[in-house]
Amino acid sequence: MKSYRVQIGSLWRDLPVVEVAPGTSVALFNMLGDTEATEQAAALLASKIPPTVQVLVTPEVKALPLAHAISRISGLPYIVIRKTQKPYMVHPVVREVISITTGKPQLLVLDGLDVPKIQSHRVAIVDDVVSSGGTLTSLSEIIGSVGGDVVAVLAVFTEGAERPEILSLGHLPLFH
Amino acid sequence: MAYTLTVGAVSRQLQPVQVSATKSLLLIELLGDTELTNAVADAMVALVPPGCDLIFTVATSAIPLAHALSERTGLPYLVARKRRRTYMDHPLIQEVESMTLGVGETLWLDGRHVERVRGKKAVLLTDVVVSGSTLAAMARLVERAGGVVVGRLAAFARTGATDLGDISAVATLPKS
Repeated sequence: MKSYRVQIGSLWRDLPVVEVAPGTSVALFNMLGDTEATEQAAALLASKIPPTVQVLVTPEVKALPLAHAISRISGLPYIVIRKTQKPYMVHPVVREVISITTGKPQLLVLDGLDVPKIQSHRVAIVDDVVSSGGTLTSLSEIIGSVGGDVVAVLAVFTEGAERPEILSLGHLPLFH
Repeated sequence: MAYTLTVGAVSRQLQPVQVSATKSLLLIELLGDTELTNAVADAMVALVPPGCDLIFTVATSAIPLAHALSERTGLPYLVARKRRRTYMDHPLIQEVESMTLGVGETLWLDGRHVERVRGKKAVLLTDVVVSGSTLAAMARLVERAGGVVVGRLAAFARTGATDLGDISAVATLPKS
């Protein structure tokens, strides 16, 4: 199988290249279960966080261990934007986004209980891979709509188009 | 009624939330709570059966705990997902027979992960155990992947909701 080699700190990982749409393949980066790579990426990304940041916001699912580890290292709390609305949520804030990996509409949901932790706070978004930026745009909209100020975006990798404004550790190409 | 949960040096006031017309549950959330996640992981290390090869968990809310437990024990962890992901290759699919929700749930294990379970001793990990039905489905997945379940761990168990059997929990919660 075709693979693509990446470096995370002192580690090397061979990512499987998988087709996600006819004629388009991506290097599949899934840090879930890779505790060593998560910890190294978290340490490197934590050192890039602008000093004014007060809270981290992350979408579920794959970036959760990364957000936890960055939170532990930096001492900043993290808030999770969910992909489904839960019965226990109070006044949730909901946005829809089209996902590049699934091609389907995807919900992003912020529990109303978490709104005060974002309102009037400077936020860094944490994700594993930022690709088309669809998720990022919707996350920024949700955060902005409840009065948070996104001052940084942290990602292990950017993908597709180069995005110098994102604080990342590397770049993944799209394969055509 | 609110309930004070204490794990190690960390205490949280849990509030009851109405989940149906007749039922309320104490809301406990590890996602976004780095301190509580780490306290639970610290307490859980002693509950991990000796000789175990990997931690097997399910998305979403136990994922940061799985990472923290992996970090402390050096054991790798694997995550079964609740939805099919496009990148999955020959996934194992397992229905959950849920007694609490009355609606079925499905667990998906990527074929790439199936190979990592084969011949291995796995400890199952979940955040809150209510009926044990998710743990039962997780056990079935591990067995179908050719692994052996050597233990079942939960951060929290709701007392009275189930006969815990061989499940080890860090803390128990009253029913409501």
